[in-house]
Amino acid sequence: MSKPQIWKSTVGKKVLASVSGLALVAFVIVHLIGNLTLFVGRDGKLFNSYAHHLESLGPLLYVAEVGLILIVVLHIATALGVRIGQRRARPQGYGVYGSKHGPSKQTLASRSMAITGVIILLFIPLHVWMFKFNAGRGFTDVDFDGHSVKDLYLVVLTAFKDPMKAWAYVGIMALLGLHLRHGFWSAFQSLGAFAPKRLPAFYAAGLICALLLAAGFIALPLYLLYCGPDPATLRGGVGG
Amino acid sequence: MKVKIKVWRQAGPNEKGAFKTYDVDGILPEMSLLETLDVLNEQLTKAGEEPVAFDSDCREGICGACGLMVNGMAHGPRRKCTSCELRMRHFGEGAMITVEPFRARAFPVIKDLVVDRSAFDRIIAAGGYTSVNAGSAPDANSILIPKDKAEKAMDSAACIGCGACVAACPNASASLFVGAKITQFSLLPQGQAERDRRALRMVAQMDEEGFGNCSNHAECEAACPKGISISNIANMRREYMHAGRVYEEHAGGGGAG
Amino acid sequence: MIKIAEEPMMNAQIPDGPIESKWANHKSNIKLVSPANKRKYTVIVVGTGLAGGAAAASLGELGYNVLNFCIQDTPRRAHSVAAQGGINAAKNYQNDGDSVWRLFYDTVKGGDFRAREANVYRLAELSANIIDQCAAQGVPFAREYGGTLANRSFGGAQVSRTFYARGQTGQQLLLGCYSSLMRQVDAGTVKLFPRREMLDLVVIDGRARGIVCRNLISGAIESYAADAVVLATGGYATAFFLSTNAVNSNATAIWRCHKKGALFANPCYTQIHPTCIPLAGESQSKLTLMSESLRNDGRVWVPKAKGDKRPPSQIPENERDYYLERIYPAFGNLVPRDIASRAAKRMCDSGHGVGNTGYAVYLDFADAIKRLGVDTVRDRYGNLFDMYDEITGESPYQLPMRIYPAPHYTMGGLWVDYNLMSTIPGLHVLGEANFSDHGANRLGASALMQGLADGYFVIPYTLGHYLADSKVLSAKVTTDHPAFKEAVSAVTEQTRRLVGASGKHTVREYHWKLGRILWDHVGMGRNAKGLEQAMSDIRALRDEFWKDVHVGGSDQDFNKNLEFAGRVADFMELGELMAQDAWHRNESCGGHFREEYQTPEGEAKRDDQNFCYVGAWQWSGNPSEPVLHKEELEFDYVHLAQRSYK
Repeated sequence: MSKPQIWKSTVGKKVLASVSGLALVAFVIVHLIGNLTLFVGRDGKLFNSYAHHLESLGPLLYVAEVGLILIVVLHIATALGVRIGQRRARPQGYGVYGSKHGPSKQTLASRSMAITGVIILLFIPLHVWMFKFNAGRGFTDVDFDGHSVKDLYLVVLTAFKDPMKAWAYVGIMALLGLHLRHGFWSAFQSLGAFAPKRLPAFYAAGLICALLLAAGFIALPLYLLYCGPDPATLRGGVGG
Repeated sequence: MKVKIKVWRQAGPNEKGAFKTYDVDGILPEMSLLETLDVLNEQLTKAGEEPVAFDSDCREGICGACGLMVNGMAHGPRRKCTSCELRMRHFGEGAMITVEPFRARAFPVIKDLVVDRSAFDRIIAAGGYTSVNAGSAPDANSILIPKDKAEKAMDSAACIGCGACVAACPNASASLFVGAKITQFSLLPQGQAERDRRALRMVAQMDEEGFGNCSNHAECEAACPKGISISNIANMRREYMHAGRVYEEHAGGGGAG
Repeated sequence: MIKIAEEPMMNAQIPDGPIESKWANHKSNIKLVSPANKRKYTVIVVGTGLAGGAAAASLGELGYNVLNFCIQDTPRRAHSVAAQGGINAAKNYQNDGDSVWRLFYDTVKGGDFRAREANVYRLAELSANIIDQCAAQGVPFAREYGGTLANRSFGGAQVSRTFYARGQTGQQLLLGCYSSLMRQVDAGTVKLFPRREMLDLVVIDGRARGIVCRNLISGAIESYAADAVVLATGGYATAFFLSTNAVNSNATAIWRCHKKGALFANPCYTQIHPTCIPLAGESQSKLTLMSESLRNDGRVWVPKAKGDKRPPSQIPENERDYYLERIYPAFGNLVPRDIASRAAKRMCDSGHGVGNTGYAVYLDFADAIKRLGVDTVRDRYGNLFDMYDEITGESPYQLPMRIYPAPHYTMGGLWVDYNLMSTIPGLHVLGEANFSDHGANRLGASALMQGLADGYFVIPYTLGHYLADSKVLSAKVTTDHPAFKEAVSAVTEQTRRLVGASGKHTVREYHWKLGRILWDHVGMGRNAKGLEQAMSDIRALRDEFWKDVHVGGSDQDFNKNLEFAGRVADFMELGELMAQDAWHRNESCGGHFREEYQTPEGEAKRDDQNFCYVGAWQWSGNPSEPVLHKEELEFDYVHLAQRSYK
């Protein structure tokens, strides 16, 4: 038998898509936990110091960022491969098509993986541009207990005080939830993790994971929009 | 009962097809959908028209010959049911029933509702067997198989090779078909000798036939007339990745290929 | 009226010696083909069921160059797939007194002393090897907790020797066989020709040297040459139109061989299976069998009062007639098929039938559910109950099943000798297509056994013997031989004639009419007058068919009507031979029940003085004037006795 081309096979590709997907889920969870510091206090002290700690990692941070980009690329490449193969495998579609339900896990979430994936992909550079680079406007510094740190909190708060931006975030995070609703359990299925009895539990866990992550990310902009302090007065600027 | 049958007509593999609608009268609720097509064909033959070509043989849900998309679902709306077992009482009086062939690049249409499913044969030929010549078998009871293992193997072996899993899958993937056969043998002591080779070869053949990849929609399990679980697909992946690793070790190479 | 051949006695080539050592001696004495020479021989195998698939796989394993044909799109769909109940084997794993001898004895007795003893003994001997082979292939047989194989008692046996895989034994055995076959396809020893219908046998210098078939997709008439032809194309129960066989099951291959000189043995031995779902309407295309294993726990009954139309739940216990238990106390609901079927017919004919048509009896699981619990019953019969529910819309967990007999299996077939060779040298016939092992009635779970024994363990030896023995085969023939051209043009002509027929009636209408005639007169109960009527009706119908059938479409295309037209034309001739054979056999035996010949209790009454022979018919050119040959049956080991299951 000739050498098996495992990573070029359909199974191998699914395994890569799953591993990269789960790595991204792990990142998103860490990202959310970090962001939850936004809820603490009304001056953004904890959030800014969290951001400061991250930045002070220096070269390590770059390694992590490059790694993350590579994982994203791998995820897209393998997942899009599935999607393109799908078109090729059925050149002529059905006149009528519907799900038989029952054990079927075909849902809006499973059918829209490619669309939600692409939207999230487009969102990532915008998101990075908006917050990591403050849309090219640069950052002000703020003093906490004698330390001067970059005032990322102000940038986030200012952005989400714009209802347009806040609600756009809500929408995109809902799509992320949708993506994870299928993606999370599906990754375990693709890694061969299932005995039939465990499948319903993983499927339910997928739903809970998706709901919690989406709820966390949705709560942040809404909290800042409706309950956050006024950015204009936050740093004692105009009114002080 | 009176029904309308909207059916895909295609004269040959390279011809253009289209839907055509026919009225069929005198249908009894206990008749099967295929018997309704029989009645339609008698009607068409008498009118000097070409009857609708479709595959069917045993008409009791075990040979796997019949396979129709009925109202957008493989073998119709009933669970654990083949097209030949689908009774007309599940459709209302005057219902419009849309009938299409199973569609996939790997299942090209031959005529009307008849498709070529020989890709499945080639997948089995690639490794869906144990290499035991007639005459060389040991006494059957010298191979002990725990009851639950035998039952699980039977669950996977129940596949009738109809292709509904491929037809129902939004990606036209054959993973359930292949997974079921790999799983059956992976559970049984008889299948161990060729376990790795089987997984590698069958998956490679599946890919070569042009089936799509699996996105875990699990629509295949819903469509499967024998209710074969997608855990067979999970198992196939495990078997395949393990086989790939073992192959690397045996080949003396390291790292991902 | 019957033409009898001048030299009527046939020689079955039965080896000498005591019955226990005939096969072993024969195997030691027959000629062998050397391994290097095997690939030089081309063998055509027609059919991919248990017999054909096993033969093609085994011959491929030996190294022959095998061409394997089937009418389905893949070998895995051959109708062996539909056998539900199980496969017998004299393993005596249950320590309940089974043995090769007992299986042999039961089969000869079950066949009502109309089978060839030597063949049956060999079958019983080989039965154990079959289970070993299938288990090694990975067939998931039912198991006990300890991991050993499970058995059940089945269809009239007093020992538990039936191996099974849920209610899908035939499917699992066939898939095992198919996997072996596909392994040979991968190895290059077997070449598959699916969607091909064999339409003629090519005989050169008196030997079978090839076939002509129609490509069912393109319509092309193709011919293939070989050194021997193995036919495993199943039985002819679809002559009845409604049967438990698949809609494509047909007798065309064996019938065309018959017309080329192969004798057709015992065509009147047909088996009517007792437990099928009753007929519902005229558009019905087939009758669905409910496994006989249901009779292990189900109780058969009818209301004691004639024409009792009350729902079954309202008929109290003392107004029910559990007639099988009453008439046959020793075997009860497990009497052989022919006996159970006729008892059901008698009950319905005398006005005790149930259901809308009055042609059904109850098969009741209420007691079994009470005794075993619903879960055990579901474990044993769940899939059959679901199937019944899906078809009838009634749940056997709540209501008794309604069942009625239906044509299921044909014991008759092409005559073969001990080597499974027909009267045409080089033409071997296996499985249901031959006549050899079941006599006048087949026991449950024996068909799978016979098909696989023939394919895995008999033909690999006897075919080699034929090839090694036949020096004439050193002259290879090709399809350029005039005999091939002739056969192709005859087939083409018939095909064109059929496709051009533009009468008023469809093929299906003729098949339905033929089926009615056969069911009414050549079915469960037969008599001389009815059989004469049947013969004349079939002749008239056949004439009408050729004048007034409408086929339509093209012969150069996928054309189902054309396929069926050819098959129905053959059934019209075979049907008359069935009636002829039944008419000439002035006795009752097994599935052949002549109303004139019965005991006072209504059981089959054999006439061993005059009819202890195989009736093998020769084609004379006129379907109404076949010529009878006889093979005397000798019972040296199981002594002729009236069958009794009381």
